[in-house]
Amino acid sequence: MRRRGPGRWALNAVLLVVAVLWLGPYLWMVLGSFKSLKDIMNAPMAPLPSSFQLEAYAEVFRSIPVGRYLLNTTVMALLIAGMQIALALPAGYALAKLRFVGRGGAFLAVMACLLIPAQVTFVPVFLMLAQVGLVNTMTALVLPFGASALGTFMVRQALLSVPDELIEAARLDGASELTIVYRILGPMLAPTLASLFLLSFVFHWNDYFWPLVMTTDETVRTMPLAVALLREQGTGVRWHIVMAGNVILSGPALLVFALAQKHLLRAVAARR
Amino acid sequence: MLRPRHRLHPYLFLAPTLAVLGLFFLFPLALAAYRSVFRWDLLTPPRYVGLAHYERLFASGEITRALGTTVSYAIVVVIGSMVLGLLLALAVNRTGRFVAFVRSCVFSAYVVSWVSVALLWMWMLDADAGLVGRACKAIGIGESGLLTSPETALYALAGVTVWKITGFSMVVFLAGLQDIPEELYEAASLDGAGPLSRFAHVTWPSLRPTTAFVGTTSLIVSFQAFDIVRVMTQGGPTHSTTVFVYAIYEHVFMNLRAGRASAMVVVFFGVLLLLTLIQLWAWRLGRKSG
Amino acid sequence: MTVDRRSVLRGLAAAALGGTVGCGRDPLARGRQSVSLWFSYGGKNREVLERMVARYNASQQAVYVQATFQGDYFEALAKLRTAIVAGAAPAMSHVVGEVVPYLHEAGVLEPLDGYPGASDLGLVRALAQEGTYTPMEPKPLVALPFNRSTPILYWNGSMLEKARLTVPDTWDALRDAAKALTNRSGDRVSTWGLECPISWWFWIALMGQAGGEVMRQDGYPLLGEEAGVDALQLWQRMVHEDRTMRPPPGRDYNAWQVTNQDFLAGRAAMIYTSTAFLRYLEDNATFPVRAAPLPGFRRRAVPTGGTFFVVMRGAPEGEKRAAWDFLRWMMLPDQTIEWATSTGYMPVATAAVTRLEREGFYVKSPNDRVAMDQLQHAMPWPWAASLFRVQRECVDPRLEEAVLARRDARELLAEARKQAIEDT
Repeated sequence: MRRRGPGRWALNAVLLVVAVLWLGPYLWMVLGSFKSLKDIMNAPMAPLPSSFQLEAYAEVFRSIPVGRYLLNTTVMALLIAGMQIALALPAGYALAKLRFVGRGGAFLAVMACLLIPAQVTFVPVFLMLAQVGLVNTMTALVLPFGASALGTFMVRQALLSVPDELIEAARLDGASELTIVYRILGPMLAPTLASLFLLSFVFHWNDYFWPLVMTTDETVRTMPLAVALLREQGTGVRWHIVMAGNVILSGPALLVFALAQKHLLRAVAARR
Repeated sequence: MLRPRHRLHPYLFLAPTLAVLGLFFLFPLALAAYRSVFRWDLLTPPRYVGLAHYERLFASGEITRALGTTVSYAIVVVIGSMVLGLLLALAVNRTGRFVAFVRSCVFSAYVVSWVSVALLWMWMLDADAGLVGRACKAIGIGESGLLTSPETALYALAGVTVWKITGFSMVVFLAGLQDIPEELYEAASLDGAGPLSRFAHVTWPSLRPTTAFVGTTSLIVSFQAFDIVRVMTQGGPTHSTTVFVYAIYEHVFMNLRAGRASAMVVVFFGVLLLLTLIQLWAWRLGRKSG
Repeated sequence: MTVDRRSVLRGLAAAALGGTVGCGRDPLARGRQSVSLWFSYGGKNREVLERMVARYNASQQAVYVQATFQGDYFEALAKLRTAIVAGAAPAMSHVVGEVVPYLHEAGVLEPLDGYPGASDLGLVRALAQEGTYTPMEPKPLVALPFNRSTPILYWNGSMLEKARLTVPDTWDALRDAAKALTNRSGDRVSTWGLECPISWWFWIALMGQAGGEVMRQDGYPLLGEEAGVDALQLWQRMVHEDRTMRPPPGRDYNAWQVTNQDFLAGRAAMIYTSTAFLRYLEDNATFPVRAAPLPGFRRRAVPTGGTFFVVMRGAPEGEKRAAWDFLRWMMLPDQTIEWATSTGYMPVATAAVTRLEREGFYVKSPNDRVAMDQLQHAMPWPWAASLFRVQRECVDPRLEEAVLARRDARELLAEARKQAIEDT
């Protein structure tokens, strides 16, 4: 659809407003993180700080072990995403390519789990893990999400379009089933797996609910949780400190987005 | 379809996945149903109470209130993000660096965490210290704070949610738009159809499956809302933002009522099941005309 | 617009340190009995507590206290209870007074009578466990007072002078003073006469002043009966009829923060809040801050507030002994004085109070005296396991409704009473 003249300008103006609406708050957040408490309280409408201060960041680093939290969060998200792919490949393969008794039932069971969000399971899971003393461990954060119903489904869908002959040929060549799954089909499914990995990594990196419920101290606490705690300080909301924490929290996600933009967009669009 | 090399292979391949899913999704659901007939505060032994929790939940109107709050929130979120998403998709459906930049801006909100967005907007909407909050006060709305008045709090939350997820619907709609073959438009133009008519007769019908997908995804997302409520309003003021999941959380962690929370979980699952059936029906509807 | 170089350097240093602080273990901890303390309430209180814990750790070789911040009181309590269930509870924490009976009846608190020195701690009776509760039968010692407070009336010294008022000491005087101090032009109010968080603690105070009791000895939730209604109606009248009172927005302690901010910014002439904020308000105000006891109605009355230290029964023996050592140290006059004078909470050791009086502390800071003097009107809490539930589930949610939505107070309290009887 090509348009010239005033229509084009009007559209660009609208797009500019849109960009401001979505980018503006972030800029405000970053600028806010450099303000001092006085700026926040006395001149809330002024965009620029009276002088750029790193006070807020110093306070954030003083009150929470940022390095550890970022590490915890990244490790947890990597483990989850990695495990999900490792489990989804064989499961998807079995459901897509192998004939066996109970295949329909297994497929149904997997799909049923798509319906059950974490908010439904957290109470029993918390109590289960509590009884074996696994609350507040990395296991509690990773294991429950080790298998992805969605991931299994996506792998199955992708494998359905792989010709059976390929697998037969590989078998004839003497490849073991595991080799076929991980060494042959895996790479073939790279785009699907990349999508799955990205979506899962981002989702779990940002997860607030599960770590909130499953951690009781800072050993395996994650970044979103820690930054949310900044808000609860007791004697007055110090927005500049909260925003500094927020910049640290959203920085990595935005960075990954900037680098992997195309893949993320494709991953989202492909899920239709 | 192939025969497995070894009889046990399929079961071995599925075992880890089914074990994890079974242990952490299916089993807990059954456990919740079991616990919902007990009264248990986690510290003292449980006491059997039969269906008392369900009776109390429905009789006291708590379920209706939680559902009502969630549905009001969901309606604003779904309609808002779908309409905005579609409009934005139409606007950015062209090449150009500026357009790509705008696309990224809008989508970036989808990538950051809910906590991030919640904290940012808590500040922005604050009646005393926030840019948007003060601007609104100046034009007469939200005198006592958009997030702290019972009438506006839920809609403020919905607005922030729309801000965050519109990027997702925009991208999905965009992909749907780009799937529409150019020939359909050309044929319509040759028939003398103007831009509005082209939209109504070519674009909209072709987008039906996409619309169904976006609609039901936003619906499910809004029914599972928790982070934003926990960080921004903690269910208040006067319970006006206590959506379903938050109500369950409150019962477990604030009130230590594991039995009642389990009953709510069972009801919640029922609601989700219903929503999914609606999703399937909408999908089938889209398929038929697609 | 300048870049403050010092703050840049400080920021970089903190960043470098912050990246490693979490990963390293305090060298002081090596070879000692480690014991964990979960604490809540950040800001100034957090600083002072962390300072005192560091001093304790440095002052002896046997015990190392690891203090972890857990959010506000309610969030921390939720985490504590779930941690107890998960078997991951710390050895010690501090909890609001209202929940101590519940925790004791649930059997999770360690009785402390048997520990060395427990019988002569020399605590101020009204602030210690024995004076805070009226149990039907004697209970073991399970809680040691930590940050104890009463609500007081703060007023903006310059505003009161300008309006040439005396400090109100009855409800009627309060309403009159609020009317005189409220500054409004049309619909916009630049100064509110009174601001008070709509929450349980302050409602209990008003209910007590109206002559009521929250619970009978057997646990029946009276909720003040008529007095409870009087209390709510005072708020309703001041907010909706006189329009001199601002109910601060926000859930739980968020509202308390707003109250403080409004006071400091001159948007509220008088506020009801805890004596705990005394130091914070005095330090940050640009006007003289005066404190006064809460006005009375049929009588003077205030609840006590704040938290008690508790030790978990389920903790290992070594940790419990270490916890006791730390808590014993915290009860010494030196420590209670440091805590009280740095914050505004009340010193809990009688020797501390005598020393402060002797040193003329109360002459120099008469504001600190207010809470101590009010103790003579302190209302004890009933030792009821259901007290906490009644507060959080039945009463607190309804108070907001009564004041903001202006629902009938009698009806609401009757509902609360019914729910308390059915549910708890």
